[in-house]
Amino acid sequence: MQLKKIKGRMAVATCALLQATSPMASAAGSEWDVDTSFLYYGEADGRVQAFEPAIHAGRALGDDDRIELRLVADALTGATPNGAYAIDGVAQTFTTPSGNSSYTIAPGEQPLDDTFHDTRIALGADYTQSLDRMSRIIWGANLSTEYDYLALGVSANYARDFNNRNTTLNIGLGFNNDSVDPEGGVPTEFAPMKVADTGKNVSGDSETKTITDLMIGVTQVVNRKTIVQLNLTLGSVSGYQNDPYKIVTVTADPATGLPVNGTDPSFFDSGVTGNLPYVYEKRPDSRQKNILFFKAMHHLEEDVVDFSYRYYSDDWGINSHTLGLKYRYQLADSYLQPQVRYYSQSAADFYRHNLVLGSDIDVSGNVLVDYASHDYRLAESETITLGLKYGMPMANDSEFSVRAGLITQSVNDGAVPAGQETPDLDAMMLQVNYSFVW
Amino acid sequence: MRLMKYTFFLAMIILSQLALAAHEAPAIKLPTADGQVDLAELQGKVVYLDFWASWCKPCRSSFPWMHEMQERYRTEGLEVLAVNLDKDRKLADEFLQDMDVNFLIAFDEAGESAAQYQVRGMPSSYLISRDGKLYASHVGFREKDKAKMEAAIRQLLAQQ
Amino acid sequence: MIRITTLVLLMMLAGCAGMGVEPWERDLLAKDSMQLTPDYFENFYDEHIYFSKEASSGGQGVGGGGCGCN
Repeated sequence: MQLKKIKGRMAVATCALLQATSPMASAAGSEWDVDTSFLYYGEADGRVQAFEPAIHAGRALGDDDRIELRLVADALTGATPNGAYAIDGVAQTFTTPSGNSSYTIAPGEQPLDDTFHDTRIALGADYTQSLDRMSRIIWGANLSTEYDYLALGVSANYARDFNNRNTTLNIGLGFNNDSVDPEGGVPTEFAPMKVADTGKNVSGDSETKTITDLMIGVTQVVNRKTIVQLNLTLGSVSGYQNDPYKIVTVTADPATGLPVNGTDPSFFDSGVTGNLPYVYEKRPDSRQKNILFFKAMHHLEEDVVDFSYRYYSDDWGINSHTLGLKYRYQLADSYLQPQVRYYSQSAADFYRHNLVLGSDIDVSGNVLVDYASHDYRLAESETITLGLKYGMPMANDSEFSVRAGLITQSVNDGAVPAGQETPDLDAMMLQVNYSFVW
Repeated sequence: MRLMKYTFFLAMIILSQLALAAHEAPAIKLPTADGQVDLAELQGKVVYLDFWASWCKPCRSSFPWMHEMQERYRTEGLEVLAVNLDKDRKLADEFLQDMDVNFLIAFDEAGESAAQYQVRGMPSSYLISRDGKLYASHVGFREKDKAKMEAAIRQLLAQQ
Repeated sequence: MIRITTLVLLMMLAGCAGMGVEPWERDLLAKDSMQLTPDYFENFYDEHIYFSKEASSGGQGVGGGGCGCN
């Protein structure tokens, strides 16, 4: 009886739906939420500087769907470490990535390659497709292109709410395909750097790698003031993962770390063979990562505490801990947010200060270890960031904010000869942001 | 996909109507801006009971529609009652300043009425018949649901 | 680690059933400042900077663009 009645009602409702005209189709969702932002990032001592303007706009499509678009430009200049280390009392000469010219680093100075400059353009789009009241899929695509690098990626994130929307399960799958087209060609792994204009050792023009990420996560409302998130990400990278511009110093004597020079062995007699005492680095072509990420947001009626922790581990031997804490201090109308971030990582198994003649590399230049890199980013290190943000809500749901941060990164080289340590990296960032509804 | 969504929606309505059919609407006795409203005293009218809050985005788009419904069906005996659930009355008042309101607004900072009605999302609305019975319920406010909701109002108004 | 985390996630999913708030108690959670990523570009730039300076990256989600950052 009841069902029949409802059926009848539904029929009426459906008819009503068909005849209903909605002359005053509401303007809901016809607005764009726009973020415009500019980042200046600058490292001390003439190293990297970046200028990065960006825009992001999102709007609702219909009642439940949403589209987001992102455009980021990125201009980089400055010098970057080439993988060799400073040596007291010895000037070192290197060849630029093109293979056509050389540069000399003064004694005791960290070897930096200042031919480094780049412009990057990155585009991204996300589409949130609502499946029903409790679940949705976010489809994502991104493209990033720069002088020597192209990255293409797609992703899908499924989210489902449970428990009166207090629990959300997130499952994400991401796939990226990157190709690198290094200046001067792809250097042959472990081949010596050659004196300028004597022919660079190259193995090809370009290389690729693929990155696959699988994430499973839960967000949970704990109470009226607290929400927490826990994500587990499994990442797999396969393909070319060397930094094509980084080299490793070859030494005959680990006690001094001095580069092999000249006559013994004759292989590194650059006057004869054109081989400089540095070889291009080599990393494994596979990397498996596990990442655990936890975040908690807690509202104190006025202020907000934002805490995050990440544990990262991969099969290159790198383990890291990242702690982040932000405290949003509410002023009358605006807010002030001090921020602190602490990062600590162990070294990759194949991180080497140098290759030692006899044990790591033979007199004919054959490298006897599987992999080696002296990229400071693979060393044991610590990064501390102190930041402060000021945000000012303005009329019509717009907000202006400015954020400054000081970053200090220090590398623990282990036991290396004095003067050859990787110097600390000091950097500052300044971000200006304006968000509005359009 | 559209068909699936639609079927899902119909199923939700049928389920909610089954669950609610012939149940007495829980009592509501709440303060308004200048007095008090008692659901029992609205017997004889069809009541569109809405639960809302200032921080709820779809609630914002539901207000003009409720205004429209109240205007269109007042003579047939529709009474829109919108219960605010803000913990801070000030925020509700700010919200109301932007709105053109021609219906009843009540305030329930403790949220007891919402608990009585087992509100599952914001906003939530309930249709109550002239004899005080729950007739239908709806969670959320979407453009595409408007016509169906209006149809339900019309049906209930047609029942004597 | 994976097994333990999966277990923790499942426990959260099950054990959290009692946690949470009623739908009308989300006034604070609805604020922009309480979103898990309250500032889109703050997060974006940070990820970009640290990606190019440190050996670890990721964790907050999948997707996003790669770069050959030196």
